[in-house]
Amino acid sequence: MKYILLIYMNEGAMTPAEREACYGESTQLAHDLHASGKFISASPLHPVATAKSVRVREGKRFITDGPFAETHEALGGYYLIDAKDLDDAIAVAGRIPGARKGTVEIRPIYELTGLPEAGGVA
Amino acid sequence: MLLCYDDEAFWERQGQDALHAAMQEAVQLTRELHAKGQYLLASPLHPVATASSVRVRDGKRHITDGPFAETREVLGGFYLLDVKDMDEAIEIAARHPGARHGGVEVRPVLEIQGLPKN
Repeated sequence: MKYILLIYMNEGAMTPAEREACYGESTQLAHDLHASGKFISASPLHPVATAKSVRVREGKRFITDGPFAETHEALGGYYLIDAKDLDDAIAVAGRIPGARKGTVEIRPIYELTGLPEAGGVA
Repeated sequence: MLLCYDDEAFWERQGQDALHAAMQEAVQLTRELHAKGQYLLASPLHPVATASSVRVRDGKRHITDGPFAETREVLGGFYLLDVKDMDEAIEIAARHPGARHGGVEVRPVLEIQGLPKN
């Protein structure tokens, strides 16, 4: 079963040094997952200030700066994993450094047929 | 990364056929993106009722049912794209069927070194 783990954190929660350490620990986790065949993709995102939101109403496009929903903690990155079950996904989520500062939301992927093969690595 | 936010109640009212048609439209979009080399990954998610949230505090794991934040419109799917710039990402976001009912958030991915290749 595939899951996306969405990492929500207060963007000011880490110093630049802590952030570097977080990337190092996250990269190590990604390698551990890869070694056990559970890794699909993972990446941090640029700060939420770089977000744009797009809506189309009656054929007209509306583009706003910022995220779709303003939340105290913002989406800062994700892991896409192939886990045995929800418990396995929870175990992985608990190892993400962001889980210690923010929250990791686990969402099962709906396996839609007909999508193209993954085009590369993000 | 495109984050597609939907109002699940809207799609329930529209019925399965409308949802299926929107998914097929999204699949068609991914095929076009794939043909242009812009496609990395995409998928819908199961309804937000299936979400769990995990926090670790003082070494202890806390697990709650449901999403991180309760909002009327919820994350329903995502795309990972390889595009030239934000404008190109916005063009694609506007073509996702969910943009007509909910909204699509465009977030640039921070490319860090050392992640495994899949």
